[in-house]
Amino acid sequence: MEAVEYLLDLAGIGRKRMKLCWVSAAEGQLFVDYVTQFSEQTQELGPFSPDEFKVPLAAVEQTLDSPRIRWLLGMSRQLTERENVYHEKVDPEEYKGLLHEAIEEEYEKAMVLEVIKEGPQLVREISGRIGLPKPRVSFWISQLRNTGQAAIEGYDKTTPKFVALAA
Amino acid sequence: MSEAFEPKILAFLCNWCAYAGADLAGVSRLQYPPAIRVVRVMCSGRVDPLFVVKGLKNGFDSVFVSG
Repeated sequence: MEAVEYLLDLAGIGRKRMKLCWVSAAEGQLFVDYVTQFSEQTQELGPFSPDEFKVPLAAVEQTLDSPRIRWLLGMSRQLTERENVYHEKVDPEEYKGLLHEAIEEEYEKAMVLEVIKEGPQLVREISGRIGLPKPRVSFWISQLRNTGQAAIEGYDKTTPKFVALAA
Repeated sequence: MSEAFEPKILAFLCNWCAYAGADLAGVSRLQYPPAIRVVRVMCSGRVDPLFVVKGLKNGFDSVFVSG
């Protein structure tokens, strides 16, 4: 869930839109307190518009669904609490760093893919839409082309336009 | 806006902990905001990170997970 919070912040939706807390069966009052507090917090944030966040939401969904993130999340305890056969263990802080790095990368890639799903676009246009430096966009485009998820479609003079291919 | 904004919160509650807690709150007639829509799950471990995104995508203002 820490990963989801991090990703929501990254997408500009904000971690305040979700909450995880522990309540036992005997703690009715505690439940009421949590719900009241969270409800007030949501009230302050105001309504959430899924249309406004359509592209980031789709990218967040794609990121959480990616094999890389799934694997990292699923292996978190194995990596940080148990040793492998070489008696190696990953430090929890190091694991967190790795996870954040992976999330950032997968999210950037997903954003690029989501934008070119809307039609052929230049690297410059994609970069402008998602505020990612052009070399970064080019890098993800080449990755996406290698995996058969994107292709060139049309040119603006000599500059190629990219489009997403259906999976 | 003339009408006050009424948040819609999606809540995933564990059958054995928070759901029973919510039940207890109801039985003891404790007041809490009507904003939450509860989905009962057999364990909060059942809640996949994707559920949170799907909830937001489908028009909920925020998501609450409790177990």
